[in-house]
Amino acid sequence: MNMEKVLMAFAAAIAIGLPALATAWAQSKIGAAGAGTLAEKPELSATIIVLVAIPETMVILGFVVAAMILFGV
Amino acid sequence: MIVRMSKVELAGPRELLEKVLSLLRDTGILEIEPSSIGFIKKIDEVYIDSYLPDKKSLSEKLFLEDFKERIDELLSYLPRIVVRSGYFHPQAIIDTINETLQKHLVTCKGLYMKKEALQKEMSELSRYNMFLDAVEPLLERLKETPDLDVIGLTLKDPDAEDMLRRALARLTDEKYELLTSIAADGTSAGLIAVHKKMSDRIKQALSDKNIPELRFPSAFGGLTFAEKIGFLRTRLSEISDELDMITMQLDSVSVKWGTIYQRVKEWIDERLSLFRVTASVFVTRMCFFIYGWTASEDVITLREQLNNNFNGKVVLEELEIEEEDLGRMPVILKNPPYFKPFELFTRILPLPRYTSYDPTPFIAIFFPLFFGMILGDAGYGLFIITVSFFIFKKFRGKKNVADAARILMIASLYSIFFGILYGEFFGEVGHTLFGLEPVFIERRTAVIPMLYFAVSVGVVHVLIGSFLGLITAVHRKTRKEAILKLMHMLLIIAILSLVASLFGLFPGLMTKPVILAILIITPVLLFTGGLLAPLEVIKSIGNIISYARIMAIGLTSVLLAYVANRLAGMTGDIIVGTVVAGLLHLLNIVIGIFSPTIHSLRLHYVEFFSKFIEAGGRKFQPLKKEK
Repeated sequence: MNMEKVLMAFAAAIAIGLPALATAWAQSKIGAAGAGTLAEKPELSATIIVLVAIPETMVILGFVVAAMILFGV
Repeated sequence: MIVRMSKVELAGPRELLEKVLSLLRDTGILEIEPSSIGFIKKIDEVYIDSYLPDKKSLSEKLFLEDFKERIDELLSYLPRIVVRSGYFHPQAIIDTINETLQKHLVTCKGLYMKKEALQKEMSELSRYNMFLDAVEPLLERLKETPDLDVIGLTLKDPDAEDMLRRALARLTDEKYELLTSIAADGTSAGLIAVHKKMSDRIKQALSDKNIPELRFPSAFGGLTFAEKIGFLRTRLSEISDELDMITMQLDSVSVKWGTIYQRVKEWIDERLSLFRVTASVFVTRMCFFIYGWTASEDVITLREQLNNNFNGKVVLEELEIEEEDLGRMPVILKNPPYFKPFELFTRILPLPRYTSYDPTPFIAIFFPLFFGMILGDAGYGLFIITVSFFIFKKFRGKKNVADAARILMIASLYSIFFGILYGEFFGEVGHTLFGLEPVFIERRTAVIPMLYFAVSVGVVHVLIGSFLGLITAVHRKTRKEAILKLMHMLLIIAILSLVASLFGLFPGLMTKPVILAILIITPVLLFTGGLLAPLEVIKSIGNIISYARIMAIGLTSVLLAYVANRLAGMTGDIIVGTVVAGLLHLLNIVIGIFSPTIHSLRLHYVEFFSKFIEAGGRKFQPLKKEK
């Protein structure tokens, strides 16, 4: 029973941890490129915000999956 | 909201063209269309030409351009001082002003050039002044004799002094004097006194060792060191007096004539803008035609203005807007006072097309709602509303700051409302102090119900977006696209119903009819949207799940508030506890302003607007006076 709990917690951690890393990596790349773009074309701020925000969906999906694992949905 | 536009044609006798353009510029409500496509019927094209200025107009234009260039040149010589606004009409006195301008240009150019030359000389002499100031006390120690030559030099490297002393000792057989002092710029200034016979050899050695010898301008030639100092001081004082005199003269011209030249320049700008606009005017032998766009609500005003000024000789006619016009119609966004501050968020988006929607009202409705749902704490809401009220009062003149403060005030009201629903006031402080209980849901423990709630909000929001996209397609009369959008919506609803019934949220009996509906909708979707259409549905499902962030970010806020209160309790001291809790709550409030703002905006920009807003609109640019 305890082992099952440990495995569930581990699974939940992986479900959110890996997408979080992936999101961070994607955002670092997009953010760096976006900052460069903004220096030349400040009018593209909305597009840059959108582009930076897009990978966040991964970690949100990971969070949903982790919640489903932990709460047994 | 996107203001309804009208396509208009103005026609009148050619001799009134200039006055009509002048009136249009003063009213500033008509954008002139440079192209005649869609305005002139094919059959009439042979009678109508583009307006070509006559010889008189052309020479006036050239004269004004030259005049403006000369005024600009004169103003560049004058000091930038605030001048009064002039209200006279320069046309009647333009020739007199032209003559005066010529005289002023010659005088001021001369004064300006002299000022520049004196400033340059002053800057050069100041360099010597700095050196001579440093070595002046040294001179008193040197007994000047006719056989003695004094060489000035600057030493940038402090170690160079020892090296120099050794070299001088070797070259002069110890018959030298080197005195050094630190100049105002931090470099070391030096003075070498040697016999005239050895002077050239020393200078050569300095040059070989790359030690810069201080050379004085030719005006200093033949003077001794002491005389050079005196000469320099006198010259600097003379230059300073001359500069004061020139500045006073230029100031005087600027004060007396600045207003006049500024007004003449404005008038020339206005005249030249009219000349530029005439390139977009069309004419027949007797008449002129101006085509353009204006807000429908301004058509009556414009017509009245034309009638009052030209006694019915100039006619304004509203033309029928055709389908091909929709792509090039200019866009004006106009919102009621409640929505207006939210234009701060839509200004950074590209302008929507005329046939699309203004995103401002949608942001104004849903942004505070999402912000409140995420932050959801009555205490935080009260704090933010107080701070934003003070910011609003203090920075009323700064539009962007005032708008941001107003948005925060509205969003904080929603935060207070949701705080009451969630039973949160600085976390569980409300419950402990006033027995505040959650009316709707307790976010900290009810994670899964909150997740369902957030995703349900996403379903509603994304479906509203898709529905608006459907309406746009219907308005544009693109039947296939409209069916695709409808099928898209139905398929999303069917898939979500299926998932809900599988999770036991909907009755299990619904499963079979829903599967049947999906089987019917999918082929229609493939037929209308092609093979990629199902991908769009998957993307929309992803968009809906993305709304889970409302719950996720809200949960972090609740937990941080909970931690702040627990830590405060653990200190066991009321003062330390209050400070700890206060600091952590303050941090949570700062995060609680930025995070919900960014995520609510993202939900709009990415998930919502992508369903129905069509970017690529052209801003309405009426003919008007330039400020």
